[in-house]
Amino acid sequence: MSSGRGLSRRQFLAAGLGAAGAVATGAGLGGYVWPLLAREDLIPGQAPDVTLEPQAWINRTDRLTFAALGDNGSGGRQAMAVAESMAHTYRNAPFGHVFLLGDISYYGNFADRYDDVFVRPMEPLIDAGVTFDLAIGNHDEALRHSDEGYDEIEAEIRLLDTPGRYYTRTYGPADVFFLDSSVPGLFGAESPEQLEWLDDTLASATSQWRIVTMHHPPYSSGRHGSTPGAVEKLVPILERHHVDLVLAGHDHDYERTVPLDGVTYVVSGGGCKTTKVGHSDFTAVAKRILQFLHVDIADDRLIATCIQPRGQVADRFELRAREGR
Amino acid sequence: MTPARARSRGSLAEAAGVVVYALVDWLVIMAPALAIQLAADRGGIGGTEGIDLLIASVLIATVHAAMAARRLRFEERTAERRADIWIASLDSLVILALATTLLVVVVFVSFPDEHAALANRGFPVVLLWAGLQIVAVVLAEITGRMVFRWLEPRAPHQPTVVEDVTVAIERAHREPDRAGSGTRQEPPTG
Repeated sequence: MSSGRGLSRRQFLAAGLGAAGAVATGAGLGGYVWPLLAREDLIPGQAPDVTLEPQAWINRTDRLTFAALGDNGSGGRQAMAVAESMAHTYRNAPFGHVFLLGDISYYGNFADRYDDVFVRPMEPLIDAGVTFDLAIGNHDEALRHSDEGYDEIEAEIRLLDTPGRYYTRTYGPADVFFLDSSVPGLFGAESPEQLEWLDDTLASATSQWRIVTMHHPPYSSGRHGSTPGAVEKLVPILERHHVDLVLAGHDHDYERTVPLDGVTYVVSGGGCKTTKVGHSDFTAVAKRILQFLHVDIADDRLIATCIQPRGQVADRFELRAREGR
Repeated sequence: MTPARARSRGSLAEAAGVVVYALVDWLVIMAPALAIQLAADRGGIGGTEGIDLLIASVLIATVHAAMAARRLRFEERTAERRADIWIASLDSLVILALATTLLVVVVFVSFPDEHAALANRGFPVVLLWAGLQIVAVVLAEITGRMVFRWLEPRAPHQPTVVEDVTVAIERAHREPDRAGSGTRQEPPTG
């Protein structure tokens, strides 16, 4: 066997293709596809096989227990692990409502994937009579400002029996506001109506607690970060009306801010995927984990627990209802 | 340096090259399963949640790393030019890296409804995973062998794994006959 003196035409072609392919493959896989595999939830998961006692939560005017779950729309193994954790949590600390914080269907339309991303993972809770309220998300930027985007939102509203794109509910001692931060943007110049509605509705709210849920977080140290325009347009309204807690998703992590002018902001977006999260001046806790938030309000006391798939507690905090609003 | 010592160093380098190539081959096949396991661990699932995919990938990667090492050793014995071996191997590795990862991503992203329905019926997702990785391995092997034959048209035909197994079975069948014919016969009595 010889080492050869120069490359033949065939060798040159095969080596050139191999080298170019190696560079392109190395860059593409190492820089994009492998990290994508490590942050997505592509492998189909087995639905939780749990039977729960129906309507086991305490139903009183001074009591509200709910779970907040964001960005859970994969139907994959990680989504199923979080859903199973929710079912097990219900056994020990039953909750009557789940607030979905947007992005409830990845890898396809919600209408097509309704069973896989909603019914299968949530079946034990659905059977137990738990209700679901949705704050609309925008899981796909390409869908924005398009007929397809509107169709998707219409399907979510129809299938989850949601009263509208933005609405309010009164549960026990709390008024809960569900905002649509998707098309054409809650914080853009085009959409002042929703902010006016929120301002008016918060002004007339009479419950002891005020909770706002939405998809895009006003404050975040995650991959997407704080939502542009939110601090200027939305936060003054929340502060003016003494909102206690703001729940959001969008970034695939768990974050809690220190109280900012009395308002605590939580990102609970670890419903099926995780992405990097950093720390900012406003950060109290930030973790790259799969999770959901369990919230228990009893009269003037709110206890929130961030729970991971194996039941580990990642964070726990307590709020007191503000007096003299 | 004496010619004998130079030959010895050369064969040592070739052996090291084969080992390194087999190791890279193994890691490339393992990468998707490791990425998914990393995501599960980081998310707090951990434990045995994604272990089925890891085990499947370990088996396929180990078998294919051994096959790749065997192919390289064969090519070293038969190639006229050493460069042809490594050019063909590089092409094979590129196809392997692309196929092991992209097949998984494309199949699982493009047809989520079908896969979830399969999972619903208890279809072992691990079989789908293993099937995709085996397809990737076959594509890589075909690429490596075809490029090598294109570069070395006069090289002898390399037996496939199936042919190797067939030969081994035939040899095993022949062995007892040979053993039987070699046994000492007892002298007739009476």
